[in-house]
Amino acid sequence: MKQKLIIGFSLVLLLLVVFLMWKDFYRSKSKVQNNPFEYNIDNLKNIDPDLITYKEVSQLKPDIEDLIAIAIDKKDHIYLTGKNKVIIYKDNSLVSSFNIDSTAYSINISSNEDVYLGILDHIVIYDKNGKQKTKWKAINENSVITSIASTEESVFVADAGNKIVYQYDLNGKIINEIGKKDTLKGIPGFIIPSPYFDLLIGIHGKLWVVNPGRHAFENYDFEGNLISTWERTSMQLEGFSGCCNPSNIAMLSDGSFVTSEKGLERIKVHSPSGDFKSVVAGPDIFEEGTKGLDLAVDTKDRIYVLDPIKKAVRIFEKK
Amino acid sequence: MAKKEKKKKLNRRDFIDRGFRVSIGIGLVGIGGVLFKKSKAKEYVWQLDPEKCIQCGRCATSCVMTPSVVKCFHVYDMCGYCDLCGGYFRPEAKNLTTAAENQLCPTSAIVRKFVEEPFFEYDIIEELCNGCGKCVKGCGAFGNGSLQLQVNHRLCVNCNECAIARDCPADAYQRVPMDNPYIFSGYSNEENKS
Repeated sequence: MKQKLIIGFSLVLLLLVVFLMWKDFYRSKSKVQNNPFEYNIDNLKNIDPDLITYKEVSQLKPDIEDLIAIAIDKKDHIYLTGKNKVIIYKDNSLVSSFNIDSTAYSINISSNEDVYLGILDHIVIYDKNGKQKTKWKAINENSVITSIASTEESVFVADAGNKIVYQYDLNGKIINEIGKKDTLKGIPGFIIPSPYFDLLIGIHGKLWVVNPGRHAFENYDFEGNLISTWERTSMQLEGFSGCCNPSNIAMLSDGSFVTSEKGLERIKVHSPSGDFKSVVAGPDIFEEGTKGLDLAVDTKDRIYVLDPIKKAVRIFEKK
Repeated sequence: MAKKEKKKKLNRRDFIDRGFRVSIGIGLVGIGGVLFKKSKAKEYVWQLDPEKCIQCGRCATSCVMTPSVVKCFHVYDMCGYCDLCGGYFRPEAKNLTTAAENQLCPTSAIVRKFVEEPFFEYDIIEELCNGCGKCVKGCGAFGNGSLQLQVNHRLCVNCNECAIARDCPADAYQRVPMDNPYIFSGYSNEENKS
């Protein structure tokens, strides 16, 4: 009896040892080992809630395969485009849509409600009912049109491939090249490491162009003279970091800039002179790696953020 | 008579003798076959997949070699040549200078060189790099992800059971053919790496 007890006890002990050895070999991969070289960038992602002065009020979920660009006209019609389609909304309701025969990477609505689409290397113009009016000649094989803005007389086209802004007349003829490096005129030249190159016509009727490689905003007159510039290089909220930021811009009615960034996905507001004002949305509400957060602002200063990963337009209002 | 001899049963001695000969023959053929197969088979080495790497720091601390044979490699084709390089500067750097207090790398293994306004090139000093991955995390967060960790096969002793692979919480390590031992995310042009 005593011998059986010893054998039984030894067997249990042996099984216990085998189990511990198995656990040690195969299950002991410590997941919580301290990293002596920890580089914590969470403090850059975490934004003081007091600095966030906007709240997300609603979303549009358009039926489109790739959602790429947004524009808003003077009557607050929201135009969305991407792969093979243009969709028009008004007050969060679908108004109409029409098909296009390729992918548009940029969109602009002229004062007479024509829809200008940037199709890689050329511009195609539709009326608001989806009828194609004209197609302008392709620029060249390097061309990547990333943004369009228009006035009564001209159309300005940001070409990330050629690193230049082309000024067209309304007949589709290039009449000027803006932003070419010219040290005598103090023009530094555009640094465009990736296809994010935005521009807009500001509230004072002047052309604002982002120089993303320099984290700069450059203000030009329509003759191509550099009027003013500001730049903010910083990983903190007050500036822009990485190779090419801000990736997209829009302007509020007081002349402040709304900016979106890639890398650290965040939407901010900067004063007309470049000083950081507030945060619209922090990285926590976007998927990591989201790029191409196109922006638009309506007449009520609501900010529309196109989120290409979530295939939605996210609408923000001041708190 | 001859038929009778053929039918004669083997005695035990002959049977054992013949059995040994056959066994030795099979053994030799087997060993030869295994050696032949080994000589023809591809050699494999350890490598980490940059897509899976989470920059946990264990490449620096778990390797049997000191410093670790895991090094930062720079895929120049992907680099934006940024002035404010997220892999080179600490976020709190006040000035974009090469002062030690501005650098993110704990061993100052990255050299910043002016190319032309506003471009800067970043080179890795292999001897100083300990594979901690801080720069990789910074480059990925703020830049194009052109800094990537890789096992340097000029330095790796190719352990049967790689100590880092065993510790890697992301299971980023895998065996890859020795004739193609690097895995780069984004680009694969050998000439553009340091």
